[in-house]
Amino acid sequence: MLKTLLDAFALISTWEVIVSMLAASVYGLVIGSLPGLSATMATALLVPVTFYLSPIAAIATIVAASSMAIFSGDIPGALLRIPGTPASAAYADEAYAMTRKGEAELALGAGVWFSAVGGIAGTLSLMILAPPLAEIALSFSTFEYFWLALLGLMCATLVARSSPVKAIAGMFIGLLVSCIGIENPGGVPRFTFGITDLFGGIEPIPALVGVFAVAQVMRAMLTPEPPPIPRRKFGSIMAGQWRLTRKYHWQMTRGNIIGIIIGVLPGAGADMAAWVSYAMSKRFSKEPEKFGTGHVEGLVEAGASNNASIASGWVPSLLFGIPGDTIAAIAIGVLYMKGLNPGPTLFTEKASSMYAIYLMFIIANIIMIPFGIVMIRLASHVLRAPRSTVMPVIMLCCAVGSFAIGNNMFGVVTVATFGVIGYVMEENGYPVAAMVLGIVMGTMIEQAFVTSLIKSDGSVLPFFERPIAAILAAMAIGALIWPVLVWVWRKLRREPVPAASPGE
Amino acid sequence: MRLPDRVTGLFLVGLGAAAAYGGWQLPPVPGQPVGPNVFPLVIGTGLALCGLAIAFGIGHSFEEEEELIPVEGGQPPPTGRFYGLRALLPPALLLFYVAVADRLGFIITAALIVFVTSTALGARWKLSLPLAVLAPIGIHLIFSKLLRVPLPAGLLPMPW
Repeated sequence: MLKTLLDAFALISTWEVIVSMLAASVYGLVIGSLPGLSATMATALLVPVTFYLSPIAAIATIVAASSMAIFSGDIPGALLRIPGTPASAAYADEAYAMTRKGEAELALGAGVWFSAVGGIAGTLSLMILAPPLAEIALSFSTFEYFWLALLGLMCATLVARSSPVKAIAGMFIGLLVSCIGIENPGGVPRFTFGITDLFGGIEPIPALVGVFAVAQVMRAMLTPEPPPIPRRKFGSIMAGQWRLTRKYHWQMTRGNIIGIIIGVLPGAGADMAAWVSYAMSKRFSKEPEKFGTGHVEGLVEAGASNNASIASGWVPSLLFGIPGDTIAAIAIGVLYMKGLNPGPTLFTEKASSMYAIYLMFIIANIIMIPFGIVMIRLASHVLRAPRSTVMPVIMLCCAVGSFAIGNNMFGVVTVATFGVIGYVMEENGYPVAAMVLGIVMGTMIEQAFVTSLIKSDGSVLPFFERPIAAILAAMAIGALIWPVLVWVWRKLRREPVPAASPGE
Repeated sequence: MRLPDRVTGLFLVGLGAAAAYGGWQLPPVPGQPVGPNVFPLVIGTGLALCGLAIAFGIGHSFEEEEELIPVEGGQPPPTGRFYGLRALLPPALLLFYVAVADRLGFIITAALIVFVTSTALGARWKLSLPLAVLAPIGIHLIFSKLLRVPLPAGLLPMPW
């Protein structure tokens, strides 16, 4: 144990890891603070950079960039009322109202402090939960893996705040995309239409870059430039945070717990954690009428929650290779690339690498405090960068990055195609996160599904007979039926209204 | 490109049916109860059913109307017949990169892409022109020099 910890310290104490983490932190802070650019996009564009780094340095960049970006999405939310990342959208209105009351420092300071606390809490949960779950995972067979992956997809559809039918349709589109190629039970080309580039299937990373980065540039073409941020001088950022910690320690703890639970669930992520925590905070507050007028309580809980879910989202990623959210989907790709293949054996054979990952999360969240303070003070300059400067550079990074992944131009075609697909889907209310997770998990689901059917000679009974598989099956089917029950319940609630009319 | 649910729903029905049919056409593996055709069949059917549900408005009540955040001080977007086509500029430029980069080289192609994108987003030439010169060089320096990604040299190779 102690030796493993010392090995982990040695792994992360190289110049390569330190420089990579610092550079990725600055990168994540800048990208996350620009309105419209998401943490997922920041992480996706980072993948080519990780090619020539060592495994630990590559993971360090992903960890630092994603943690920083989730926090710094709060900055434009508070100052411009435009959330920098979807995870900050839940409380952008509240933070902006505080700024208009002259409490910008308190709002942004709460963002930094409680994000760091949440991130560390999430890391602790990762350290505590992962090893025992690894023990359980060793007994998993293809039946359990099938249901777990399906559960991840179902949770991804629940995350969507649009029609659940459209979310499920998005998931099916992603699964359909994953069908392309020669990697299937029969080894025959499927949906390749004679194009040799499609024999290898659609690479998830270029699809991700297209859906999140190119689609965003397309959207920028049609929306007006955000208003320039008024120049302002910030007082002390961290003043009053300790008082808030004592006053709202219960809200902070509850936000951490919610973020950890949602993060551990495959498919759900920081966005869902933030929305659930903010709603929970409002529901159980002693002063609910203050919400919406610039009340810091919701920011405390939601800010702690979304950063906690980032770290705990690595639990399903490391243990099963099933992404906790879209950022984890990218991280899994990097893990495979670096030889750290996800699975329960990761915790026995490469224990020092695991501890290195834990340490990187803790360090990233600790340096988030000074870095975040500097970023807040510089925000008026960074946000002043015209969009016509940022978007062209993103376009170049999309082209070069997608080329670098496969070293062929087909990656660029993939990025362009999925940019259009992502843009059209978003415009019509189909959540793209469900499609992305479908692409990432499609091959795994099919392999587990087909292998299970072969082992059972076509019977479906073994899918439900094994105890863990039965539990996971109930959860997955419950997640599927839940929207139907809500819909029926709403229908029943509406019944008495027309019945009362003839009575009057 | 906002389309009515009936249109997108029916499109999904067609896509699902085509996928199911294409999957059904795949040869089964002899001696195995399931082969490469099972998964596309299930997915295509599911997609077609979802498309039907969307076309008929089932579950529509779940959709919360996105509250339009009023952009204070922002100019109202100009309306025109071809204004919506501006969204297709980024993917078109990426395809332009695919078609042309090998011959023109990265620097020239990237400069054209940056200039067009920057201008389309409202930049004056005083900004877009220097950006078109500096950004490709910077990107080339980072990716080709530091990250060793092979970028096409073309007509204007970089000295490093």
